[in-house]
Amino acid sequence: MMVQPSASPAGVSKPYLSVEQLTLSLGRKPVLKDISFGLSRGRMLGIVGPNGAGKSSLLRAIYCYRYDQKAHLSGQVRIEDVPVYTMSRRDRACKIAVVLQESNLTFEVSVFDVLATGLTPRKSLLSFTSENDRACIRKVAADLDLTAFLERDFSSLSGGEKQRVLIARALVQQPDILLLDEPTNHLDIQHQIEVLGLVRSLGVTVLLTIHDLNMAAAYCDELVVLSQGELIATGTPKEVLTPALIQSVFQVTASVEPASGPGDQIQVVYSMPQHAGTVEEVGAR
Amino acid sequence: MNLRYPAVVCLTIGLLLLSILAAAAQGSFSLSWSEVLEGVSVCLWNEQCDVSPIQQQILLDIRLPRILMALLTGAGLAITGAVLQSVTRNPLADPYLFGISSGAALGAVLAMSLMSGAITATGLGVIFNVTTGALAGGALSVFLMLTLAGKSAVQVEKLLLSGVAVSFMLSAFTSLVIYYSTPETASTLLFWLMGSFSGVDWSELLLPFVTVVLGSAIFFVFSRWLLVMQLGEESAATLGVPVHALRLGLLLVSSAITAILVAEVGGIGFVGLMIPHIVRLLVGNQLQRVLLMSLLVGAIFMIWVDVLAHSLLQDQVLPVGIVTSALGSLFFFIILKRRQSR
Repeated sequence: MMVQPSASPAGVSKPYLSVEQLTLSLGRKPVLKDISFGLSRGRMLGIVGPNGAGKSSLLRAIYCYRYDQKAHLSGQVRIEDVPVYTMSRRDRACKIAVVLQESNLTFEVSVFDVLATGLTPRKSLLSFTSENDRACIRKVAADLDLTAFLERDFSSLSGGEKQRVLIARALVQQPDILLLDEPTNHLDIQHQIEVLGLVRSLGVTVLLTIHDLNMAAAYCDELVVLSQGELIATGTPKEVLTPALIQSVFQVTASVEPASGPGDQIQVVYSMPQHAGTVEEVGAR
Repeated sequence: MNLRYPAVVCLTIGLLLLSILAAAAQGSFSLSWSEVLEGVSVCLWNEQCDVSPIQQQILLDIRLPRILMALLTGAGLAITGAVLQSVTRNPLADPYLFGISSGAALGAVLAMSLMSGAITATGLGVIFNVTTGALAGGALSVFLMLTLAGKSAVQVEKLLLSGVAVSFMLSAFTSLVIYYSTPETASTLLFWLMGSFSGVDWSELLLPFVTVVLGSAIFFVFSRWLLVMQLGEESAATLGVPVHALRLGLLLVSSAITAILVAEVGGIGFVGLMIPHIVRLLVGNQLQRVLLMSLLVGAIFMIWVDVLAHSLLQDQVLPVGIVTSALGSLFFFIILKRRQSR
């Protein structure tokens, strides 16, 4: 089953970001198999799929992180026709910003200093943080409602606050494309909505991995469905999220209904087992 | 709070200068502060001064070189410790963790025990002395560590483990050499291993000075990237930092500083571990601040350790390594207690 990519709004023009025949293997183990898709400027794309489908690997392949010596990557990623893989590290970091799942810090670092690391690709090693840079950091912090946190220790923040700080750092980087690896992980529903709404409102081109199909449908313009390293479908949430696809990829029975509210938004309703019962009961069945 | 850090730095620099003067006045042949001040200023170019030639000689030829060596050692080990703690993201990292000191010690011990034998007679002693032996040993340990870690050297945990393995292996060889030495050589070796600043002359200061200054300059230049690396290696890579090359480079610079200091003064532990922690309590965690203050506080600490080593026992100099280790373990008990009570 293969849904063709939806035509971009601009019609025939080439996509802003294009991923071309990405294939990644770790030793002999294939992780990504011949992945190709495109994304127009300013759109938000969600990568969904079961655990181990290769979602994070796909993001890493796009931002060129070699996490393993045995990793072998082929294919190309282009931003406005410029190949990403032949760029220098710094040029790449000026174009692509990445928000990873929160990391633990050994030593205390203030939120301001965390944000200031976003300047790294644009600053030479010998330069100092100028008043201009500080103003830029303060502006981003103000936009994301972080001004009150600037002097706080990053480790002391809650999960949602940390995520907001990391997104702010990515914005200090002034990227063309923002990648987020499971930005809603470990967040309660209020903060999930807050973080996705924030990302959505930024107006930059976004790729993110996400587990919750309803969240993905509500916030993403387009979805890419991965399963076992293969691209199963791309398109708008409405095109992609069909009961048949959910059944085959996630092994879950679900129905898809129009969501309340404007537009042609959809909502996935899972059919849960009535009552799983105790272990003994299940075993006895 | 913006004024606090500059004030702390100025205060520490003042304290460092005072420590040098006070340490120069201390000792079995005691001098007054004014004599010390005069001895290092007026008397250098003026024949007319109140300090006697013998006092002048003690001050310039014995005490000042010793104090400056203590200063360089403390500063060098402390800043190296601070850098290694950041690079490995491990608060327990220390210049001695990677087996550098064990390697240097082995080289020095080999040089010393061979010098007492045939090599001196052939004149090879000039090339193969304690310093070159220690340098070669330090280089060997870094080489072994990187070889052992192999391709997995990109992972910091494996690098640490192979460093620890090399450290134990080389320590075993050192013990073996001492075991097979004559009793006199063995006691000399043991005393050397425990560290001492005695008998330093001006010419020996040059190499440590150059290394510590150059090494610190490199650390400061790369501190911007180092801070990024503290937030995680993968995210540092996404910000354009060449993570693996940076870590290897900083590790090699750290090794060079440690090996040269060990070659000159022997094994002095705990300084690189302890001082950065004290500094973080004083000025917070901002990396550049921690680096600068580690230099200063490390220097002050080591000068006073040397004074203590000279004055604790009458007519006898305690090895510096014993004093630092004793103070270091005490320090960790205090930290532990404070953590528990929180």
